[in-house]
Amino acid sequence: MTSERIDAYASALLGVARAEGRLDEVEDELFRFGRSLEASESLRATLTDEMIPPAKRQAVVEDLLGGKASSTTTQLLSFVIGSGRAADLPGIISALVDRAAATKSRTVAEVRSAVALTDDQKDRLTAALANATGKQVELKVVVDPTVLGGLVAQVGDTVIDGSVRSRLDQLKSLF
Amino acid sequence: MSLFAIVGVLAAESGKAETPNKWWPESYEIIWGTLATVVIFAALWKFAIPQLKASMVARSERIQRDLDNSAKALADAESSAAQIRASKGDLAAERTRILADADRTVERVLADGRQRIDKEVAEAHAKAVADIALARTRVSAELQADVSQIASAATEHVVNGSLDPANQQRLIEDFIAKVGAR
Repeated sequence: MTSERIDAYASALLGVARAEGRLDEVEDELFRFGRSLEASESLRATLTDEMIPPAKRQAVVEDLLGGKASSTTTQLLSFVIGSGRAADLPGIISALVDRAAATKSRTVAEVRSAVALTDDQKDRLTAALANATGKQVELKVVVDPTVLGGLVAQVGDTVIDGSVRSRLDQLKSLF
Repeated sequence: MSLFAIVGVLAAESGKAETPNKWWPESYEIIWGTLATVVIFAALWKFAIPQLKASMVARSERIQRDLDNSAKALADAESSAAQIRASKGDLAAERTRILADADRTVERVLADGRQRIDKEVAEAHAKAVADIALARTRVSAELQADVSQIASAATEHVVNGSLDPANQQRLIEDFIAKVGAR
């Protein structure tokens, strides 16, 4: 799929979420689903398997998100998968998140943590990242056990790595 | 029995006479004897002598031929002996030449062999040195990799064991403080 088509799908999904008045909720749920899709090879393989009928792949997503995500989010994902664009979901979701942040004059700050952050920590981290980058940021936290400890923040092309994993990797390179 | 005795017997049987001298025959005995002798000698001269001469000549020729053949055989034998002696001399010279060639060949082969062995030994030594250096480098690298892997695993194990909730929160707070201080 070309980047124009990814942008078109992202714009369409963004328009639907905004029209439903659930942009923040849908954006957050799609972001989390996108990260889950990136982390799970089996889920990605299932959703992109052309030998499985689209209806069954849509059913997999609906079962997976049932009760955990809004119906708008589930329907939007089902629509993309039914269109045969499941392989481009990560790109579409990323574009949607960027566009959503841009509409709020903000930049997405993706933060990976080994444990969940409290609301207070999220607020202080948002302020700290805004201060460090000079931009208004929209925080997206991903719980990633491979980080081991600490945080990794990516704002645009800037990466601030304070994770235990990176320190261990640096230590290994010294051996 | 001699011819004279035969004639005497014949005369005695025919004449029945006795001679006046027991050592001298009668005249007719002499005549007949002489005639008989002449006849016999004539016959011998006529028939036997030529055959005897021919036989003698043939014998002489055969003897001469045998002598010639013997001389020829002797000459051939001497020639063969000379050739054998010459060949023997040639054989000795050839033997000496072959032995000298063999000696030279042996020396050359030995020299080539020594040179080749020296070269092979030098190459084997160089290869062994290179192999040892390579093995030392490889073993050192493998050992370093093993130590690194073990140290990394140990470090990760220790770090994981120390990452309790309190430390996790401290790391998060440190990160927020560090980013906020930029």
